[in-house]
Amino acid sequence: MGLFDIIAGKRKLARPAPDRLFALSTAYVTFTTELSITTRGVAGIVFQPLETADFEQIAREMVEVLEGTSQDSGTTVETRDDDYDYRWMILRDPDFDDLVVGVNAVSGALEAGGYGERILCAVFAFTDGRGRPLYWIYNYKRGAFYPFAPGAGDHERDTERELRLKAQVGAELPVEPELERWFPLWGIPI
Amino acid sequence: MARPTSFGRDTGLQLRMTLTMFLLGLVYAVLIGVVIAAKLPFLLFIVGGMFLLQLFASDKLALHAMGAREVTPQEAPQLHALIERLCVQANLPKPRVAVANTPMPNAFAIGRSPKKATVCATTGIMELLSPAELEGVMAHELTHVQNRDVMVMTIASFFAAIAAYIVQFGFIFGPMLGGGGGYGGGGNNNNNNDGPGAAVVILVSLLVYAVSFLLLQALSRYREFAADRGSAIITGRPSALASALMKISGTMDRIPQRDLRSAEGMAAFYIFPPKAKAAAASLFSTHPPLEKRIAALNRLESQLQGVA
Repeated sequence: MGLFDIIAGKRKLARPAPDRLFALSTAYVTFTTELSITTRGVAGIVFQPLETADFEQIAREMVEVLEGTSQDSGTTVETRDDDYDYRWMILRDPDFDDLVVGVNAVSGALEAGGYGERILCAVFAFTDGRGRPLYWIYNYKRGAFYPFAPGAGDHERDTERELRLKAQVGAELPVEPELERWFPLWGIPI
Repeated sequence: MARPTSFGRDTGLQLRMTLTMFLLGLVYAVLIGVVIAAKLPFLLFIVGGMFLLQLFASDKLALHAMGAREVTPQEAPQLHALIERLCVQANLPKPRVAVANTPMPNAFAIGRSPKKATVCATTGIMELLSPAELEGVMAHELTHVQNRDVMVMTIASFFAAIAAYIVQFGFIFGPMLGGGGGYGGGGNNNNNNDGPGAAVVILVSLLVYAVSFLLLQALSRYREFAADRGSAIITGRPSALASALMKISGTMDRIPQRDLRSAEGMAAFYIFPPKAKAAAASLFSTHPPLEKRIAALNRLESQLQGVA
């Protein structure tokens, strides 16, 4: 944000950063072979559903396209609105690469419709070696991933495990450098 | 891309804001010129010190004055989660979150930079508004943070503070300065040759203070509009904020005139001004009248729906 933007109080919503989503496909090889982190076969993409006529139309078409391709890949799609009025498109597919491709198709459709800035993030669900749930969240505005490991209690996160994961993954994945932007997502429906 | 943006431009608002700041700068330049010509630059240092103190200490003081307390995610999970999602959307680092325990529905943001910011909601506003409306209000506050409105308003009022200080100073010590060489030195014994006398400085300061006061209020109103607009852009729901504003203003009058209203100096950073007077005084108010804010939000909703 430049000086003039501060003076003039300009507000524009950040557009999605250059897409680094597919880095996760590559990193997943390391996940399984070295870290024994496996996919739970489910991923979600979260966005603000705007109540405009063309947005609903874009969302409907998106589901149709995904269902069309799912005949080949076996991906299933489910739409759900959460407590904060955000919409989740939940994709299920045992093949991890197909999940990434599916999430990319959703974000691509939203961007093509001019609503790219409404995407909050994409969430991929994993299980670690000890069977604990683990999420990698992709922040579209930042073009970076961060781990989210729910802790034992309500609204608690296992920061130690997250930081260890960051070190383990290393250069495999573009990890969000600013820790204060590792935003938790509570009540993830996947 | 088919639609470059969901909303139109706000060139008019940008122009008015820039013009106001330009006029403020002009008025202040006059003040600085006179002060320097009168050989009183030490005043600038004194007020400069006060200004820095205000900039760095005001956060804690303001929170304290408002009876607000920082809350952890465990204490206020809903509020934290709501703000976190808005921060992702607005591409902002997460500010500190505070809650003030008062039935008065209001919210405000403080802090000179996004990294040092705190956003605060009262328990009253959290009870009054629906989640979508509260989201609109918090997005308004986050836009204040992103636009660095506390910093901008503090800097903009810096010279107005100097002018006010000179006026006060003048009434107390005026006779001394006016007497010429009143403070011991022999070098200043002929005011008329050196520059404008103390009376002129005080008069100019008074004028600068009056004009800059009006300009500052105008600037504050424009930045409110900008924050409303920013909120609509972040949430994509201008009508939710409009509905929140109507709800807040509806309850505002029915709640006892105490609590937050005592901290009047902070009024500029509220979502809604604590003293909601008649629109007749609009020239002197920090917030635009409700009708105008609602109308602006309605225009944004029309743009979003592709009607306008």
